[in-house]
Amino acid sequence: MLKIEHLQKQYDGFSLDCSLEVKPGCITGLIGENGAGKSTTFKAVLGLIGMDGGSVTIFGKDLHSLTPSDKEKIGVVLSDSGFSEYLSIRDMIPILKNMYKKFDMSFFVEQAERMQLPMNKKIKEFSTGMKAKLKVLVAISYQAKLLIMDEPTAGLDVLARAELLDMIREFMEKDEERAIMISSHISSDLETLCDDIYMIHEGKIILHEDTDVLLSDYALLKVDKKQYETLDHDYLLRVKQESYGYCCLTNQRQYYMDNYPEIVIEKGTMDRIIMMMVRGKTE
Amino acid sequence: MKGLLIKDFRLLGVQKNFFFVILVVAVGISIISEDSLFMVGFLSLVMSLFTLSTISYDEFDNGNAFLFTLPISRGGYAVEKYCFGLLLGGGTWILAMLAAFMISGFKGTISVPNSLISGLAILPVMLLMQAVMIPFQLKFGSEKGKIAIISTVGVLFAIGYAVMEMMETIGVDMRNAVVYFSAMHISIISVILVLFSVVLLLISLRISISIMDKKEF
Repeated sequence: MLKIEHLQKQYDGFSLDCSLEVKPGCITGLIGENGAGKSTTFKAVLGLIGMDGGSVTIFGKDLHSLTPSDKEKIGVVLSDSGFSEYLSIRDMIPILKNMYKKFDMSFFVEQAERMQLPMNKKIKEFSTGMKAKLKVLVAISYQAKLLIMDEPTAGLDVLARAELLDMIREFMEKDEERAIMISSHISSDLETLCDDIYMIHEGKIILHEDTDVLLSDYALLKVDKKQYETLDHDYLLRVKQESYGYCCLTNQRQYYMDNYPEIVIEKGTMDRIIMMMVRGKTE
Repeated sequence: MKGLLIKDFRLLGVQKNFFFVILVVAVGISIISEDSLFMVGFLSLVMSLFTLSTISYDEFDNGNAFLFTLPISRGGYAVEKYCFGLLLGGGTWILAMLAAFMISGFKGTISVPNSLISGLAILPVMLLMQAVMIPFQLKFGSEKGKIAIISTVGVLFAIGYAVMEMMETIGVDMRNAVVYFSAMHISIISVILVLFSVVLLLISLRISISIMDKKEF
């Protein structure tokens, strides 16, 4: 569906070299701290910025040969950009109708009413939550095959985030060939939504794993100096010195549970894994 | 293209109060003064310049980033801005001409051929303004665009003056060219100017497309 191979982009003091793949039927998450290269990757995939090297293929076609009708199959949500805020939802309907052949007006209006989005108010008068919901609603209203969403839940409270994630899930359930590439700095959003996750740091992908594996097999081992010395280091991905000794990240939780019953083993959460991948050192 | 045009017309609606005031002023002046054609020039130019405002609206709050993820091409966006300007300016010109005729008709001062020729003379000015201003607006945005336009016009005048001076020093009298043109009938001059402006507008469109192709959002 979407394949990025060694996408390169150079800025002053920042260099991106990113490869990833979004498969049909999958929700793929991109996670990383601010300035890690998430938005640059999204912008390059959407053709908003030039690339210094590498390739991006969408629907099997090179990015630069995508036609406007190919773009009708891509739904986009950007956290820092959207339709002109001087327009209202009522203004947007004829625009979308004329841009997208498959625009489902009745679905759009029905959902907007369900979410209590005012039809005649200018978007600039909307709350942050309303704006975010509208962006996602627009992206899912014309039967896109691929959704590209950069921080769709940014600035939202728990309830609004849950509602938005439900919209995305419903969208996926309607057609098993659909795919989504999504980024968020709120890792719990991605934990519950994504099939696989890429972790990006300083412009490079440092980890790619299925979410199930990430949550079941990854763990943090908390050991003192003595335990650390006796520990099998073969399956330690990162190690970080702590006041009590060492904190170690592994992707073989069961192995350490079976062989080292005396050590403290904590289940890996996305935040902890990120923290260890970024702050920890390789063995 | 149609979607973008609808968007721009909807954005036009945002400023409806401003346009209403402009309309009232133009009609008022045309009724009071001798010159019914004032409103043709005034309204056509003001309306055609709204294209520049739509470019500012598009850029506002990083809106271009989302806009160019829609099923449009960068070239298509540039073409749409010219079409919008022409539709708006041309449409206003036609309506304003009709209104001017009606006002003149009421006042009994109507002279269709003269009014048509004078009205026609407004078109090249409108086209030239668009040809010059749209690429600047696309390249530099609204604030820097104004400075860039003023600087460019200044440079062009300086070059023009230098060329005239140079021609005089090598013995070519440019006044002959002026005399030659003024001997022509005004309708021929108007047609020549309209054609010249259309060519410039096409060159300007080409430049705008290449500006858009290189832009990053």
